Amino acid sequence: EFCSSLAGIMLLEVFLVLGTLLIYFLFSKKKEETLPFKDGWWGRGQKPVTKEDSSIRPFKVETTEEELSDLFRRLDQARFTEPLENSCFHYGTNSVHLRKVVSYWKNQFNWKKQVEVLNKYPQFKTKIQGIDIHFVHVKPPHLPAGQAAKPLLMVHGWPGSFYEFYKIIPLLTDPASHGLGDEHIFEVVCPSIPGYGFSEAPHKKDFNSVSAASVFYELMLRLGFNEFYTQGGDWGWLICTNLAQIAPNHVKGLHLNMVSVSKLGLTHLLSILLGRYFPGLFGFQDEDVRRMFPFLKKGLYRILSESGYAHIQATKPDTVGCGLNDSPVGLAAYILEKFSSWTDMEFQNLEDGGLERKFSLDDLLTNIMIYWVSGCIVSSMHFYKEHLQKGIGTQKHEK
Amino acid sequence: QAILCLPRSFEYSQKNAVLVPVAALGVGGMLLYWLRSGRKIKTIDMGDGWWGSGERHLKGKEDASIRPFKIETSDKEIEDLHRRLDQFRFTPPVEGAAFHYGFNSNYLQKVVAYWRNQFDWHKQVEVLNKYPHFHTTIEGIDIHFIHVKPSYVPHGRAVRPLLMVHGWPGSFYEFYKIIPLLTEPAKHGLNEGDVVFEVICPSIPGYGFSEAPHQKEFDSIATARIFHKLMNRLGFKQYYLQGGDWGSRITTNMAQMLPQSVKGLHLNLVFIAKQSLGRLICTMLGAYVPWLIGFSREDARRFYPFMQKNVYDVLRESGYLHIQATKPDTAGCGLNDSPVGLAAYILEKFSTWTDKSFLHKDDGGLESKYSLDELLTNVMIYWVTSSIVSSMRYYKENFSKDPDLSAHKRVGVYVPTGIAAFPQEIVHVPRVWAKDVYKNIISYSYMPRGGHFAAFEEPKLLAQDIIQFVQKVEQL
Repeated sequence: EFCSSLAGIMLLEVFLVLGTLLIYFLFSKKKEETLPFKDGWWGRGQKPVTKEDSSIRPFKVETTEEELSDLFRRLDQARFTEPLENSCFHYGTNSVHLRKVVSYWKNQFNWKKQVEVLNKYPQFKTKIQGIDIHFVHVKPPHLPAGQAAKPLLMVHGWPGSFYEFYKIIPLLTDPASHGLGDEHIFEVVCPSIPGYGFSEAPHKKDFNSVSAASVFYELMLRLGFNEFYTQGGDWGWLICTNLAQIAPNHVKGLHLNMVSVSKLGLTHLLSILLGRYFPGLFGFQDEDVRRMFPFLKKGLYRILSESGYAHIQATKPDTVGCGLNDSPVGLAAYILEKFSSWTDMEFQNLEDGGLERKFSLDDLLTNIMIYWVSGCIVSSMHFYKEHLQKGIGTQKHEK
Repeated sequence: QAILCLPRSFEYSQKNAVLVPVAALGVGGMLLYWLRSGRKIKTIDMGDGWWGSGERHLKGKEDASIRPFKIETSDKEIEDLHRRLDQFRFTPPVEGAAFHYGFNSNYLQKVVAYWRNQFDWHKQVEVLNKYPHFHTTIEGIDIHFIHVKPSYVPHGRAVRPLLMVHGWPGSFYEFYKIIPLLTEPAKHGLNEGDVVFEVICPSIPGYGFSEAPHQKEFDSIATARIFHKLMNRLGFKQYYLQGGDWGSRITTNMAQMLPQSVKGLHLNLVFIAKQSLGRLICTMLGAYVPWLIGFSREDARRFYPFMQKNVYDVLRESGYLHIQATKPDTAGCGLNDSPVGLAAYILEKFSTWTDKSFLHKDDGGLESKYSLDELLTNVMIYWVTSSIVSSMRYYKENFSKDPDLSAHKRVGVYVPTGIAAFPQEIVHVPRVWAKDVYKNIISYSYMPRGGHFAAFEEPKLLAQDIIQFVQKVEQL
């Protein structure tokens, strides 16, 4: 009897301890780790003592005759190099096709008209952490009674711009007019990453994706949004992810059209070697297997053959960007190559790179013109160096 | 049991009496055959090629004439250049960038100002023309070269033919300072001994004044073959070779292709072959016990710390290689249209590859080793010939095939080889590793100073090493 009561007490003790451990475990997991907000000053010289001007100023894209005639002069004097016979787009942008693009650019592309297209959505500038941030802010034209617009921050990447969103914006702000259900209506904010397009470039080193996320976080707060959705691809995916890591309480939802893995562990390695044969074991769906394998061809070789630009931009951005800011044809060749290969890898086998199968020349050239008229190609490349120079997988936000 | 063995052992001994000598003969025969076949050196197939545009003309022999050539320029060419220099669109660097982000655009503005206002291309063209230039058609394309003979040869002295091959982003012009030291060493205070050279410096097809190949797959082996044909056409049966950068690979291929024509091979850069696990382990050990893996003290000093010098530094400096080996037409397009962009791209290498510490300088340390005139003359060669894109394609043609399959990796180099190891070269390759490929190293020198562009930066040091190497070969 004595023993059983002792045993009973011991059992109770064990249960108590286990129970405490369990509760502690559950609660400690609930405590989320957040990324610290990265404050900074990116303006020229020293940070002034006076408070920063936080006004939001309307902005319109403008052009001049001088700008256009300078562009045409450069297009006229472009020096091309004949491609190798039968090389299509395997050596990069094919210069025979490039000549046709340049001819269209000179003779049919109407930059003044495209500027009006750009200005159809309201644009603004505001100073954050010392630099002017440009953004597009589109509110829904009509809201059904009792419904609030959901704020949505959409972030572009390289070599894109806010202009990439011009076709999708109306589908989100005015879905009903486009045959989509109007259960969710958005008000969309598309900023330009500092150093891209009409956003001022940082004058100091170390402006990386966490810096950009911090700046955009301040932007959304300044616009009065407490909770918002974020959407991103290319650099946008990382900036939005960082934003969700910095301020999880403000980001209602995170939508990505690109995800990258920076920490490769043993499981990843095993899943690459065996995932084709045991997809279920690694959590792969059929579609995953179809897209990922054969891994060497679709993964490693493809990455190696397509990442030259990232390698040189992450190490010598000032060198590679220099000529591109001086030759619009060189800039076009560099940017268009991505719009070909990254849309469909098979387009490399086409003499025209398949460019006009998915995009109009007007759209492609408008995006390029944003880089040209703002002179931002070099600063756009700095982003790669600031992100990759310390190595992949080493930064805090990647953990 | 012992009793049963006896008859068996008797039978065995009989069998052995026959079997053992037969086996010995068999093994001996195989050994002999193996030794003799080992003696026969493996070479790279010469093959053949056609690089002109369109179909090869099967009728009629190729024009084998050697035509004198003079570099020319025009006012129109210079005006066009000036106009482009004037309209250069400048991007300010981030604060404190120095050369860490690439070529510093503040310093670039100074270079452009010099180029626009003081650099005299007419004068530089005369400098370029001071040596005799020629063109000759080989495998469908025009090959450019300079051929410099000594102006005075002492009675009875033999003149050694020497082929010197440049690399990227260099040109035949890199050799202009070293040529007189080799053709007339006595006049320049070098201990000439018995050695005087006549020097031939071709331009790699696709570089400078050599026509660019119109077909795909023009690699270093094709180049090696064409240069052999060139030397043959000039009447040489045996010659010396010298090279750095691509020149190193091309001359190595030449030695692997026709060893009987190559009296000696001198390199200032060694391309290292594939790494194996064993090699990696050795490397780790070598940091602590360099003598165990055959590293000298100087090797260890130049090679370690391993990660910094061989991984990080290489990754940091190889972006250009990556993009040129995959998308040369894209990378070169803007550079053929913007002379300033071209200068930034090329001169960045003349800074960092001469001395890695130049990265920290606002002006990239360029003018501490070279004059702007000579740097810009090299850039102008790429500009006036519009050869930047074709020069970049060379990377794709040489790297895109699976590196382990390339023939020259499996073939050794048996001709007498001399290596000049410069301290600021991008990667240091110790003698013990160079022996993997170069089986007959008779000279390996640790040079006291200098970087990647050895002939351009330290012509006297390089000339001295070449001369002492050739003297050794002549005494063999």
